[in-house]
Amino acid sequence: MKFFEIIFGPGSFDLFLNLLFIIIKIAVVIGVVMFHVAYATYFERKVIGHMQVRLGPMRVGPHGILQPIADFMKLFFKEDIIPAEADKPLFYIAPVISVLAALSSLAVIPFFEGFVIADINIGLLFILAMSSLGSYGIILAGWSSNSKYSFLGGLRSSAQVVSYEIAMGLSLVGVMMLSGTLNLTGIVKAQEAYPLGMFLIPQIIGFFVFMIAAIAETNRSPFDLPEAESELVAGYFVEYSGMRFALFYAAEYIGMVVMSSIAAICFLGGWNGPFKIPYVPFAWLLIKVYFLIFLYYWIRATLPRYRYDHLMDLGWKVLIPLALLNIVVTGIIKML
Amino acid sequence: MRFKDIIKTVFLTEIIKGMALTFRSMLTHAVTRQYPEEKRPAMPGFRGLHALMRDPRTGEARCVGCGLCAAICPSQCIHVYTADSVEHKKIVERYEIDVLRCTFCALCVEACPFQAIALTEHYEYADYSREAFYMTKERLLENYDKYMGWEKDKEYFRRFWHPVARDFTGYEEQPVFRPEMRSGQGR
Repeated sequence: MKFFEIIFGPGSFDLFLNLLFIIIKIAVVIGVVMFHVAYATYFERKVIGHMQVRLGPMRVGPHGILQPIADFMKLFFKEDIIPAEADKPLFYIAPVISVLAALSSLAVIPFFEGFVIADINIGLLFILAMSSLGSYGIILAGWSSNSKYSFLGGLRSSAQVVSYEIAMGLSLVGVMMLSGTLNLTGIVKAQEAYPLGMFLIPQIIGFFVFMIAAIAETNRSPFDLPEAESELVAGYFVEYSGMRFALFYAAEYIGMVVMSSIAAICFLGGWNGPFKIPYVPFAWLLIKVYFLIFLYYWIRATLPRYRYDHLMDLGWKVLIPLALLNIVVTGIIKML
Repeated sequence: MRFKDIIKTVFLTEIIKGMALTFRSMLTHAVTRQYPEEKRPAMPGFRGLHALMRDPRTGEARCVGCGLCAAICPSQCIHVYTADSVEHKKIVERYEIDVLRCTFCALCVEACPFQAIALTEHYEYADYSREAFYMTKERLLENYDKYMGWEKDKEYFRRFWHPVARDFTGYEEQPVFRPEMRSGQGR
């Protein structure tokens, strides 16, 4: 302690402790989320398999429980192929941007009372900013691969993300109006006064718009046009293989986890539930996030892919007017 | 758009119906067969690996080397070589089937006047070399011992290679041009 004060000046030891604490928090959050991402792939395959009256992975471990580990090993040791005509620097950084943007949004998510890496006052804005930054990774990947499929995938993705960003932002405005803050912890606290401890009932339209926009934002089915297998092989990451491919894959699933957490925090009351679960303060948030992720799989197993013009129609002609209407109605009710 | 259609669109009834269906099918049992552990038993009369039938009295092959099977084989994968024995009796020197070329049409089984060749119910004979699929007379007789046997042999021709008209007509109520020909009555 003395040692620190002498070298770095007074008060530096507290600063160091603080920093260490934050780093430990970050490590814990990333560890837990990466574990969830790995098993999200497993449960996606299982859930969709059972919905299609199949079994899903069954070979690695009992009921295929070790499948994500096997997948990781395979992707890790696979050859990393870089196309000769690719724009190399961009090709290298595109997956990193993608995964970085997805992971940084985790910083502002409060997992339970008092546990948040960065308790900033613009939390919600930060999330929106990061989710749009993530699309840079996709666009750059599409561009730098120098392949027509990935380029088309990248173009589609940029158009889709830009149009659904608006609907998403607008759908969250209702939440901001009701809670009067952009701080996610503040939003959860503000919901305690509402029925069921959530904004779901006053903001049902907002929730609806948000969920659809969130599915489109994360490029999941039925809005998975950027990676439409039947048309674009695999979309923007056609040319990627091995670990870089895994990064894109991870970014998609982290995006799902983040979007589900945001929906749970902004509309479903975050870590608050109908009753307290002792010793596990994050239990309710976890249950809500799991349900929302299950909803993603459920929708994927049910709905076919949208046609591109229908997708744009839905975004611009339905969701944005709905979100605007929601803002007006919320404003009027708030004024009364 | 009528009022009902608007309600349908707004509340996504169709999508909810679809999602209910997928949820229900999630709770049903999967139809997957875990193959190497859970094998599907071959249906009776399945056309699998070939076998040369043994005569139950002598234990030798029933084949007399007439070559009808080789003659009718559409993919020409049966090769029969005969020779004269010391007592001037025709003997089958080599009887070979190239299984990789076989289409399992079973015309050879139908053509054989002595019921000397059959298709057994064995179907798992994957291998790494082409030689493994070239069946000689010894291997074909071995197949009989392994996958056919006398008990199955008796049943086999009685049930599956005894073509009767009723085997080739439909169910009882099926409309037919000449009702008197129904169900083997014409035989």
